[in-house]
Amino acid sequence: MCDGRVDSATANLALLYRRAGFGASAAELRTAGAAGYEATVASWVGGLGQPDPGTSALTPPPLTPFPDDDAAIGGPGSPGRLALQASLRREFPTLVRWWVARMMAAVNPLTEKLPLLLHNQFPTAVSKVQFPSLMLGQNMVFRRAGSGSFGALTLAVAQDPAMLIWLDANTDHRAHPNENFARELFERFTLGIGNYTQADVTAAAACFTGWRFDPAVGGFRFAAADHDPAPQTVLGQAGVNTGEQVIAIATSSPASARWVVSRMWSFLAYPVTPADPVVAGLAPAYQADLDMSGLLRSILLHPQFTAAPSVGGLVKQPVEWVAGTLKALGVSPAAVADGTVPVTTVLAGLGQVPFDPPSVGGWPQNEAWLSTAATLVRWEVAARLVRSPLVDLSAVADASAGDRPDAAATLLSVPSWSSPTANALAQVADDPVELTALALVSPEYVSN
Amino acid sequence: MSPSTPMSPSTPMIPWTPDEQPPVPGGHRFSRRRFLAGAGGLMGAAAVAGVGGYWLEGHLASHGVTVGSTASASDGPILVVLTLYGGNDGLNTVIPYEDPAYASARGPMAVDPSTVLALRDGFGLHPSLAQFHGLWQQGRLAVVHGVGYPDPNLSHFASMDIWQSASPDGSQPTGWLGRWLDATGEDPLRALAIGPTLPLELSGAKVQGGAVPPPPLQLPGTPAFQQALTALGASAPPVPALQGDVAASGDDLMLLVRQLGPLFDGSGSASPAGGTNLEGGAGGLAIDQGGGGRADGGVLTDQLDMIGTMIKAKVPTKAFAVSFGGFDTHAGQLATQKALLAELDAAVPAFLAFLAGNERPVVVVIHTEFGRRVVANASGGTDHGAANVVLVAGHSVKGGFYGDAPSLTKLDDNGNLQYSTDFRSVYATVLDQAVGVDPGSVLDGRFPTLAFL
Repeated sequence: MCDGRVDSATANLALLYRRAGFGASAAELRTAGAAGYEATVASWVGGLGQPDPGTSALTPPPLTPFPDDDAAIGGPGSPGRLALQASLRREFPTLVRWWVARMMAAVNPLTEKLPLLLHNQFPTAVSKVQFPSLMLGQNMVFRRAGSGSFGALTLAVAQDPAMLIWLDANTDHRAHPNENFARELFERFTLGIGNYTQADVTAAAACFTGWRFDPAVGGFRFAAADHDPAPQTVLGQAGVNTGEQVIAIATSSPASARWVVSRMWSFLAYPVTPADPVVAGLAPAYQADLDMSGLLRSILLHPQFTAAPSVGGLVKQPVEWVAGTLKALGVSPAAVADGTVPVTTVLAGLGQVPFDPPSVGGWPQNEAWLSTAATLVRWEVAARLVRSPLVDLSAVADASAGDRPDAAATLLSVPSWSSPTANALAQVADDPVELTALALVSPEYVSN
Repeated sequence: MSPSTPMSPSTPMIPWTPDEQPPVPGGHRFSRRRFLAGAGGLMGAAAVAGVGGYWLEGHLASHGVTVGSTASASDGPILVVLTLYGGNDGLNTVIPYEDPAYASARGPMAVDPSTVLALRDGFGLHPSLAQFHGLWQQGRLAVVHGVGYPDPNLSHFASMDIWQSASPDGSQPTGWLGRWLDATGEDPLRALAIGPTLPLELSGAKVQGGAVPPPPLQLPGTPAFQQALTALGASAPPVPALQGDVAASGDDLMLLVRQLGPLFDGSGSASPAGGTNLEGGAGGLAIDQGGGGRADGGVLTDQLDMIGTMIKAKVPTKAFAVSFGGFDTHAGQLATQKALLAELDAAVPAFLAFLAGNERPVVVVIHTEFGRRVVANASGGTDHGAANVVLVAGHSVKGGFYGDAPSLTKLDDNGNLQYSTDFRSVYATVLDQAVGVDPGSVLDGRFPTLAFL
């Protein structure tokens, strides 16, 4: 492939599949090639929120609901509490498997990539939320509301139980507002640092008093008695006294447009700051309606999305590497969903367990995934996975030794090998198993 | 499978084992016996493997590292930076229990003064810190009061970046120890973190510290595969920068595995996946982690056990980074902090005791991204604050109080403690006295050193 026989249209489609999805099979690339790049983007974005034929059979695992009367279970350390926590720990991997299997199986891969992008926009972790069922509930909000208005999405996420627990809504009172949610709303979810003051955080925290997760009603409840109705000035706007107003003001501001666009561009193309010219170009259209579908379409069709800084501008997140590799090697999504493939443990070793980001800052990008420790896990998983009876390496094995590097490139949606990688692959070309393992850890494949 | 299960060429792994929970810690911690075995294992296993000694001479020569030696007393002290993620409440760690302003600001959140472990001058340690109190009595615990920086940032991420980059104005994209690496060579073994991701503090522009995964530390696959991996590591410009970084990480890993692998062969395996927080203990579901960040190195005792093994084996590493999280106590602080400080107390003093008499003294610096609000909130917790204590413990530490304790009544506009000692003075002290480098070559500007070393 060093001879450049992959045409640029195919290379662009492969990039689209890697970034907006989890890599492409040869058949997918052929189908998409016939439809064309723009039509593929249109069909993916238009299909958001719709059932996907690839994933419809992958229904969520049974998960323990939040108890109606949590106090009745017992306090910390009580037998009832310990038993409940043990059962929650046991069931958590079933949720991770369910999502990874969907990433592998989706026909429209954006239906799974968008929730992943939004998970990192509103990072929330089971480590504190505790109930995998509530993490699943938030994931469903991303699926249901993720392709519409970002303002409505932010409100829906903010009033969903997982976020209410994650940022301590239930523990604040009008006398002493808890600033946790207000701060992260501005800093991470909607504005970015530098676009609000501590006074804005304090004022917004007062507006959010009284927001509750109430298991008895199955979700959000506004506790008027705990709410501070005094009018506040938030982000320059006076007379604000509800959380809904704060979210509307924050998400509709120009600073929010730059922040949200920069985050989505960084996830899909390459890392940028809100001051980047590419962000300035995209932000006004987004700010007009806050439509996430429109923003995704604009990013994926942007000339710079398929140009130089974008190509090679990202390292695969571990979950992208795992789901993409399992898909490329023909592992059945069912074997992931049923736990035959230990994806949770693998992802933990690589440093990224979905539903459990390290903090409300979400996961880092690029170089952060290249620590020596993560690299060792990647090597181990690659060396082991290629020997599993679950994989199908025939596309590589059936090629002649000389053609195997190209066959592996096609299998893994890699446009071409650099000469050092080509030399390394040539060393093991007589063994398709070793060659595939090596390709999985190559710089070309580990980047995205 | 578990990434920690060794792959050896003689036992090619075929079936996947079913997905399972990582085991609960307790039965999986490093035993002290591992330490002792480790000391001899380094040289012994390398010789058996026919490597021809501890160091891979060619590789090291290309990294500009002295060949053929292990660490000795002349290499000076060893620095361990322990980062508490989430913002530990310093006022309930080193407690001004005789100051009436403390009880009135904290109300029910104040630690019962009758349980405080008295130091002097009206300060005492949290009752969970009994072993630290022992270090104080031995004169091996320094408490630096009122540490911070101008215009405190109340964001976890921004403030932690400030601490790890030593750059309050954000002008330095690299870590403070990363800049020391950049300036002094390329060997990633000189600075090591425990866990899957590398903290910013060990990240330079050219040189990254190594990240040591949980054991075992062995190359996977067949000899042919391992050989080809080496060839992949030969990737160099003009490949795209990130691809070059992938190759460089592989190169560094080869070095790490060959030099540290004999120490961590998995026979005393610790938790299998540092990135998970499902294994219980303070890192697990049992304790609120809060929104403020979590360390990913796993159980603190395990991390320090690995470092102790390496130090006993005379690995020439100068600086280690470990981390421990869950300190973002906006709610339910008393119980959470009590448990977290107990874990800290079980880990650090025992680590120092294990290394007592080591020819290179060990210095542990314990910091967090900010302190917490003086006045408690109504959720049984405290919100983000500013100035805080830094604890420094170790064999060569001169115990006592350093810096000026901040007033609990003369607060900043946000109701937070005001700093009197710039955190870069702490760094300057350890750079000068422990790392052995001119602090001015790493820090922006000159900061007075403190007398705790």
